[in-house]
Amino acid sequence: MGETVSVINTVDTSHEDMIHDAQMDYYGTRLATCSSDRSVKIFDVRNGGQILVADLRGHEGPVWQVAWAHPMYGNILASCSYDRKVIIWKEENGTWEKTHEHTGHDSSVNSVCWAPHDYGLILACGSSDGAISLLTYTGLGQWEVKKINNAHTIGCNAVSWAPAVIPGSLIDQPSGQKPNYIKKFASGGCDNLIKLWKEEEDGQWKEEQKLEAHSDWVRDVAWAPSIGLPTSTIASCSQDGRVFVWTCDDASGNTWSPKLLHKFNDVVWHVSWSITANILAVSGGDNKVTLWKESVDGQWVCISDVNKGQGPVSTSVTEGQQNDQ
Amino acid sequence: MEEFDGEPTVTWIPGVNSQKKQMCFDWGPGEMLVCETSFNKKEKSEMVAGCPFIHIIRKDIDVYSKILRKLFNESHGIFVGLQRIEEELTGKSRKAQLVRVSKNYRSVIRACMEEMHQFAVADKDSAIGRQFSSQVSILSAMELIWNLCEILFIEVAPAGPLLLYLLDWVRLHVCEVDSLSADVLGSENPSKHESFWNLPGNTQTLTELELRWQHWHEECERHLQDGTFASNPHLESLCKVLLGDDAALLEHKELLSNWYHFLVTRLLYSQPTVKPMDLHLYAQSSLDLFLGGESSPEPLDNILMAAFEFDIHQVIKECSIALSNWWFVAHLTDLLDHCKLLQSHNLYFGSNMREFLLLEYASGLFAHHSLWQLGVDYCDHCPELGRVSLELHIERIPLTTEQKALKVLRVCEQRQMTEQVRSICKVLAMKAVRNNRLGSALSWSIRAKDAAFATLVSDRFLRDYCERGCFSDLDLIDNLGPAMMLSDRLTFLGKYREFHRLYGEKCFVDAASLLLSLMTSQIAPRSFWMTLLTDALPLLEQKQVIFSAEQTYELLRCLEDLTSGRPLCGEPDAQQLQDDDIETTKVEILRLALARNLARSVIKEGSLEGS
Repeated sequence: MGETVSVINTVDTSHEDMIHDAQMDYYGTRLATCSSDRSVKIFDVRNGGQILVADLRGHEGPVWQVAWAHPMYGNILASCSYDRKVIIWKEENGTWEKTHEHTGHDSSVNSVCWAPHDYGLILACGSSDGAISLLTYTGLGQWEVKKINNAHTIGCNAVSWAPAVIPGSLIDQPSGQKPNYIKKFASGGCDNLIKLWKEEEDGQWKEEQKLEAHSDWVRDVAWAPSIGLPTSTIASCSQDGRVFVWTCDDASGNTWSPKLLHKFNDVVWHVSWSITANILAVSGGDNKVTLWKESVDGQWVCISDVNKGQGPVSTSVTEGQQNDQ
Repeated sequence: MEEFDGEPTVTWIPGVNSQKKQMCFDWGPGEMLVCETSFNKKEKSEMVAGCPFIHIIRKDIDVYSKILRKLFNESHGIFVGLQRIEEELTGKSRKAQLVRVSKNYRSVIRACMEEMHQFAVADKDSAIGRQFSSQVSILSAMELIWNLCEILFIEVAPAGPLLLYLLDWVRLHVCEVDSLSADVLGSENPSKHESFWNLPGNTQTLTELELRWQHWHEECERHLQDGTFASNPHLESLCKVLLGDDAALLEHKELLSNWYHFLVTRLLYSQPTVKPMDLHLYAQSSLDLFLGGESSPEPLDNILMAAFEFDIHQVIKECSIALSNWWFVAHLTDLLDHCKLLQSHNLYFGSNMREFLLLEYASGLFAHHSLWQLGVDYCDHCPELGRVSLELHIERIPLTTEQKALKVLRVCEQRQMTEQVRSICKVLAMKAVRNNRLGSALSWSIRAKDAAFATLVSDRFLRDYCERGCFSDLDLIDNLGPAMMLSDRLTFLGKYREFHRLYGEKCFVDAASLLLSLMTSQIAPRSFWMTLLTDALPLLEQKQVIFSAEQTYELLRCLEDLTSGRPLCGEPDAQQLQDDDIETTKVEILRLALARNLARSVIKEGSLEGS
């Protein structure tokens, strides 16, 4: 009963140029992709199939990222592009259409990330103009914009929201009354820094923390989902080849300590946590995606390499699991 | 710094240019996407078509195997039963129960093995057949390990019977009959042998047994030394075997399938009353002698060795690595935990090993369209981290049918997972609205206690009414009950429908009062007032006077309010800009009707007929 990592489906996106991002929706039933060919495509991938649901045109440059909103808001997808725009697409009556366009940036928008659904429908966007903008849906097709200028000098490369944590007691709030969430997100930029942002009571966003450890541009940050423990965890990766895992013991306040996961030989572009935050996937310049897990003694162990190449489709090599001791 | 415990596996993704490009990826709820990309964001694309494929990869096809599904289902039943075992039971009865549980697990493995074996045999020459075969051997290994753990850790066989258990264990798992023992029975001193085998139920003490064995052993030795069997090399060899001579045993290595068979045979002839704590000495030497430096131990050997050394944690660790499937390790660890054999081995983030393994196993189940329900139970029995794990997983279960959605909701409601209930109901409400199933959308928003959405759906209902002149989903609206209070718009919808009902039942006075109150209490949105006033017309035109003078004044005031074009708070007055002519005519008709009613009501109230 060996556990193998196998390709279970291959979707031919027919993108005419480089694919920059691919994202599964909440349930794993749909796939959104975006490309240098300026299009955003959506596929239905249930049961190993692949049906093109939409081919969305609207960007005037390579599209860097896509992000699915929580299904309770409907089928909504955000995309950001070199053309300095962020477009929000929505499915209405079975067809996908552009529902909003945000043009508030002076430079390429590199990253988009939806906030936890508990906060409402809020999108954070990071741009090469150094600013981060936050779009909040206020109803009736209206989006309110808040902008953090000069968040990172030279440019912002990544944004990632903290999971929603209800502060104080967990008594069920009466209906209609929203609990007072403390909204936070992390950003990574060309100033080699990771910054943590917090929304103040007056609705303004303030820089709460700077995390310094990288010696080159921070390419991606990923705030781990909450698994019910009092610690917060953020992963970051950089042009300097390093991946750090930052933890903060919430009881003590705001001290974040970095732990070096690994130093790669090349730029590390992308980090991402699995749904239950127990595996961190890292995409590196060494052309591999590696999966990492934390072992008993707090060390990070590589459990799998997903390597691209000309090899056969499913080489069933029994996966070496991490030790549980 | 990282450690590498064993080589990480490399999985190749086909068709991607490994020279220049990288791979980007994303997590799905149960799988991963990878595709070729170039992270270097250049403004001008290279205009070279990269690989347009996106690969969806997933660990673990096991969940999808029909035969294994039975294993998962049945073991789930055993697991849940085990959790409920009476804590008060102590000592012998508790042990007996735990042994029974262990045997149940093993029989489930064996049943699965047998079924798979049949498939393997039927499809012998195909790749699938070979796959089945390999799965059978893996299951067999699992049963072997579990059985040994049962003997050593759960049964906790004391010295003496320990060997018998081990003998059974070897016999069960080794296909070849111990031909040596057959020879033994046919050789000299059979009676002594027979009485030896009569140990179960034997009233002799261990010491007595040892003495008798010693005596017999010495006799054998004497025979050997005296050369009794000198004429027959076969018998002499046999005698040496009976004396537990390693070299002699190893000469017949071909009859021993493996080192643990060798171990048990050695013990049988040299240390039949071996104590558990001494077992590991013989185990290690057996392994070394049997392998003879020609080959190195395999993972299975390491696991068994760890068991013989009574190192439970090592057993679990080795199993996790070698078997790479959480099912075995999760269930075995849980059982051993119930035997109170695991110190709470703290993992870095504070949970214990049992929970860690059970939740890893459960995670795999959630990916499956029906096995997810089993996953829920496993989470339930992990008091520290189970709940959060369940919360994370349950929201990701695709709600493909109403039935499934209701099942998922029931799970959440039973566990007071109110946030998840709300979130799921909101998703369902949104889906229903998109498919124009307003009644369904309304009931989901009520269940989600989502006031905003309820308002939205109520507005749609009202809009529908204006367009079509009738309500859909009357049953639902009529029976809202206290849920009506969720939002003002919903309350209005409910009350408005009530107005229609009263009118239908000809309770005109009540209907009239209700209609008026809807406006005066500000529950009705301004945009709807014209409709309400128009609804009043038939009541004004009745032969009998329905609206009192005071009520008529109120209605007039409402009409004036509406037509005076006063700026209203937050309500768009789009209605007034359209169809001005029709509006004017309507207003005129209303004014006339109200004036007439005013006159009639004044007269009526002024006269002596009363009520």
